[in-house]
Amino acid sequence: MPWKFSEVADMQPISAARFGAGADAILMQRRNKRYVIAAAYAAMLALVIWSIDVTVVKDTDWERIGSLAEVMESVNRFVGIDFELFSNLLVPTIETLMIACLGTFLGLILCIPAAWFGAMNITPYKPVTYPLARLMMTLSRSIHEIVWALFFVSVVGLGPMAGVFAIAVRSVGFIAKMTAEAIEDIDHGPVEAIRAAGGSPFQVVYYAILPQVLPQIVSVVIFEWEINIRRSAVLGLVGAGGLGLVFFRQMNTFNFHGVTTVILAILLIILMGEAVSYFIRRRLI
Amino acid sequence: MAILKVTDLHARYSAKGPEILKGISFEVEDNDFFAIIGPSGAGKSTLIRCINRLVEPTSGSIIFDNRDVTRLRRKDLRRLRRDIGMIFQEFNLINRMSVMDNVLSGRLGYTSDIRTLFRAFPRSDIEHALELLERVGLSDHVDKRADELSGGQRQRVGIARALMQNPKLMLLDEPTSALDPKISREVMELIKQMAQELKVPCLCNIHDVKLAQEFCNKIIGLQDGVTMFSGATELMDEAKLGEIYAMEVL
Repeated sequence: MPWKFSEVADMQPISAARFGAGADAILMQRRNKRYVIAAAYAAMLALVIWSIDVTVVKDTDWERIGSLAEVMESVNRFVGIDFELFSNLLVPTIETLMIACLGTFLGLILCIPAAWFGAMNITPYKPVTYPLARLMMTLSRSIHEIVWALFFVSVVGLGPMAGVFAIAVRSVGFIAKMTAEAIEDIDHGPVEAIRAAGGSPFQVVYYAILPQVLPQIVSVVIFEWEINIRRSAVLGLVGAGGLGLVFFRQMNTFNFHGVTTVILAILLIILMGEAVSYFIRRRLI
Repeated sequence: MAILKVTDLHARYSAKGPEILKGISFEVEDNDFFAIIGPSGAGKSTLIRCINRLVEPTSGSIIFDNRDVTRLRRKDLRRLRRDIGMIFQEFNLINRMSVMDNVLSGRLGYTSDIRTLFRAFPRSDIEHALELLERVGLSDHVDKRADELSGGQRQRVGIARALMQNPKLMLLDEPTSALDPKISREVMELIKQMAQELKVPCLCNIHDVKLAQEFCNKIIGLQDGVTMFSGATELMDEAKLGEIYAMEVL
């Protein structure tokens, strides 16, 4: 029954007592539910305790950790900076940054077909090209960058090139997905206008679609570049160039101050990346 | 001689969907300002989009400038489209581009993809654009972005863009529906003036019957994809209008 404003005047004055029976029924329902809720909480608690017991309590070498003082001492070993490492850090730091930049750029180029095929409204042949693009995007995102790096190290050998490829392939998924979604949301009017003027498919993309999605693409690429700096910092662990390799070596030689130094270098370039992306964002968007 | 001859045109959007146009025939002569009127949903927009094949007609023939429009292949279709200027209800400008770039986009049908990539339009195009912008009263707004303009100004850009094509026919799809009554009249006057000066016949979808009667010399009235009236504007009377808009409260 639709409710009419004019009917308010006809209603009885507010008096809660009239609903005694209705309230009783609801209270009864809740009382029964209470036991179910309690049982669910108990089950959850049991599950958590069991997990802690199996994975942490039974699976940790407590003898080796030792007393609290010994734990603090282990932590303490990392406090300090290895100044001698500085000269060896410069090149890998730049290399890490370059892997991130080149990887993002290559990823952006790979995105052109992925976004074009993956946008429902402009995909050339829907039954084939659309699923193909979706597959590319999912594949790219569901495989970890370390796994991609391992793959490319075995394909092109050790060194930063494998890192660039790993970063590129890992970036495609997100950039292409966001771009494709932006393309799907465009205003179709300019597309119609360019087609009506006799524009070629390329001209339609370049004049009617690209200007509409460019701000989103720029924003997504900057975001991805920032993440890629983090990613490229660890790729060296599997031999794909950059700071990761230095980190790995310090760890292996028990040079704990060196480990801290590498971590600080990573932190520095990440902060730098964030500053740059903040600046570009403010200027462009 | 007729620049455009449409015969028994049928159109539907999907094989199982309803038929939008059910056998429309008319002719546009060289000096015509031809109105298509009718209630919303009558098929006006579909009809006008069939002329340059933004919508594919299912059957019937369209002869434009001695070319059989329905049989054209991709490349010839692009050649056809650049001979037909189009003005849209929602202007359909590229908002993030300048007024100049929007007007120049009317030349894309004459421009190669490589030139497009560098936005390298020949000097003659830029001069032509400046002249048209002066004619539509936008000389002071050449470098502004299209989304900085008012509705009436945007439609003027749309007019300049269509005329950039040196069209042999103009399609106007509800050119004034998004504008207020005063601006609507100004825009219609501008279009008519430019069309007469450049000798471009116009085919115009228009919801506003008064504007149609004032500006157009011929009218075709559609209702539910069927022609209810076709002839000179003077022959149109209240009774026939009532028939066309029978399903809609005027």
